[in-house]
Amino acid sequence: MTALATLAPEFASVPDSTLPGPLQRYRDNAAKAIAGMAMPTRRTENWKYSSRHLQLDTALAAPLAATGTISTDIGDAYRIVIRNGVIAADESRLPAIDGIEIVRFADLDEVNAQKIVEQLDGALDTAALQFAPLNSARLQDGLLVRLASNARLDKPLFVLCQTLAEHSGSAHPRILVDAGSHSELTLVEQHESQGDAPALVNAVTELNLAAGAQVTYVRLSLDGTTVNHIGATGVRLAANARFDSHCVGFGGPLRRHDLQIRLQEAGAECRLNGVTVTLGEQHYDNHTVIEHVAPHCNSEETYRCIAAGKSHAIFNGRILIHRDAQKSVAEMSNKNLLLSSEAEIDTKPELEIYADDVKCAHGATIGQLDAESLFYLVSRGIGRTEAGTLLSMAFINELVQQIPVESVKDAIEQRLIDFIETTFQEV
Amino acid sequence: MLSIKNLHAAIEGKEILKGIDLEVKPGEVHAIMGPNGSGKSTLSQVLAGNDSYEVTGGEVILDGKNLLEMETEERAREGVFLAFQYPVEIPGVSNLQFLKTALNSIRKHHGQNEINAVEFMKLAREKARQVNLDESFLKRGVNEGFSGGEKKRNEIMQMLLMEPKLAILDETDSGLDIDALKTVADGVNALRSPDRSVIMVTHYQRLLSYIVPDYVHVLAGGRIIKSGGRELALELEAKGYGWLGINETATAG
Ligand SMILES: Nc1ncnc2c1ncn2[C@@H]1O[C@H](COP(=O)(O)OP(=O)(O)O)[C@@H](O)[C@H]1O
Ligand SMILES: [Mg+2]
Repeated sequence: MTALATLAPEFASVPDSTLPGPLQRYRDNAAKAIAGMAMPTRRTENWKYSSRHLQLDTALAAPLAATGTISTDIGDAYRIVIRNGVIAADESRLPAIDGIEIVRFADLDEVNAQKIVEQLDGALDTAALQFAPLNSARLQDGLLVRLASNARLDKPLFVLCQTLAEHSGSAHPRILVDAGSHSELTLVEQHESQGDAPALVNAVTELNLAAGAQVTYVRLSLDGTTVNHIGATGVRLAANARFDSHCVGFGGPLRRHDLQIRLQEAGAECRLNGVTVTLGEQHYDNHTVIEHVAPHCNSEETYRCIAAGKSHAIFNGRILIHRDAQKSVAEMSNKNLLLSSEAEIDTKPELEIYADDVKCAHGATIGQLDAESLFYLVSRGIGRTEAGTLLSMAFINELVQQIPVESVKDAIEQRLIDFIETTFQEV
Repeated sequence: MLSIKNLHAAIEGKEILKGIDLEVKPGEVHAIMGPNGSGKSTLSQVLAGNDSYEVTGGEVILDGKNLLEMETEERAREGVFLAFQYPVEIPGVSNLQFLKTALNSIRKHHGQNEINAVEFMKLAREKARQVNLDESFLKRGVNEGFSGGEKKRNEIMQMLLMEPKLAILDETDSGLDIDALKTVADGVNALRSPDRSVIMVTHYQRLLSYIVPDYVHVLAGGRIIKSGGRELALELEAKGYGWLGINETATAG
């Protein structure tokens, strides 16, 4: 038996940074903890399909050197850029609103840094997130978004996580959102990249929603074809808080997103929408967990995946209803569209229910384009590429149209159309 | 216009069309009648290019071109239009988007520029009105939740929009009340012209009182067993198919 592969020691090396003392200590402790960390394998249940895409050779351990910029038009919105894991403060456009703090970790004083350290990892189930500790160990900077009670951000906040991959290396963006009671926020976390060198992005975002807070979270995974992307989003909801997410992902060599939701107090609700598309040899792995901890919480999850070429899409949706979570309502649906006979889709709903008075529904399907519909369109003169694209878009359109930021919705819709069109032209 | 010679076609290895011959000249309207299961829809689908049917013999020439060698979309662009017996529902693709894409594909094929959104809306509204479909149908998914009659009118609306040179109507009359039947007939008559032809598949003669055909053919067991003028339809109505030696129940499908 061969020894388990471990993460190269270079990954545990501490990067240069000017973090305040408590955060430096947090990072150093994490670095110690990951030394010798075993890499997930085929036999690691939650990495079963993705471990073979993990090719984290030592070249990826180097921090990416920040050069250049990606100009992204975000329309009328607030913006902050995290370039290669470090906040580019001069490119930010931030609100001046009472009760809203948007601060980089590097700028925190010791007292505030200590508070952050106490919060960090609190919204994550780190046992199921093998790479979150690596993010902590490689912390160079981080973004804190804090809303006081009743504070409301009037426009979406875009966090542009930019990866500039002229040379190999990795970036570990970190975001912490602290939404006070009855506060309101729309956050767009957009991952994008430039450059052709193999790179690793290992992003962690945590959101803590106090009672009655409402957060809309749009997560766009748009990294380029040489970027390996591992991302985790952890969310904790207090009483009557509401979390809506819209995760749209385009395939890549390695694409992984873990979304962990904990409905901790009565009346909390979440609605999770997800769309992923893959082609060629690409890969996309979504793992979601919704935990109903308290009674009277609702969750609704709808994920759609389209896989073309020889690509591979994975959806693993777990719903865990604790013993005390009576009157929980949980609905989960995952529908998948295979555009080629060589593409692969694995879908696995996992329900664990320990309360007896709950309403729980789930469904998963895998299908192909309907030949009759395709013939109908083509018989009207519509070319096969266009007809296939129309039908594929119809499969995900309902979710795309729900993206609440108009400019994002339009841009993503076009991007999806272009992407899907290429899958039909490949044939 | 259209010349079908000794056409044979099969589905799932089963031969359905067993040697069809049919000549359609510009401006003519041909009615094809016949019992259930005789192959009327098969003929319509084969002409439109449905590749779940396998053509096992014969030829079809459209204005000098080999129709059977043309891709499905190319046939439509060249002016072949099939009004489906059972139009499919496509939720998520709006009728408007569908019609506009289709029309532009055809225009592009003829070297015309794309129709702009405003012009298209005007045209689509006009055609919808012509078949008594409320404008709201344009915004719905293609045939999504349409009643049987609404689907048929939607087919005719598409035909009016695309102005085909050869329209094939597969039982567009069945399941329609008398008003809808007149609407459909008005639509077809509006399109009639010396350079357009129509093949009208029907089960009943009643449509033929509104759209007067030049020829009537009886299709049975995958062959045209009798052809004549419009009086043949009246005769069929009066006597049924029995006098032609067809046992209608045995071929029902
Ligand atoms: N998809 C199919 N698979 C097998 N047999 C079929 C299929 N479609 C039609 N048929 C058969 O072909 C014959 C002709 O059908 P069709 O062309 O629909 O007749 P019509 O339109 O005249 O009623 C029938 O016997 C029918 O059962
Ligand atoms: Mg039929």
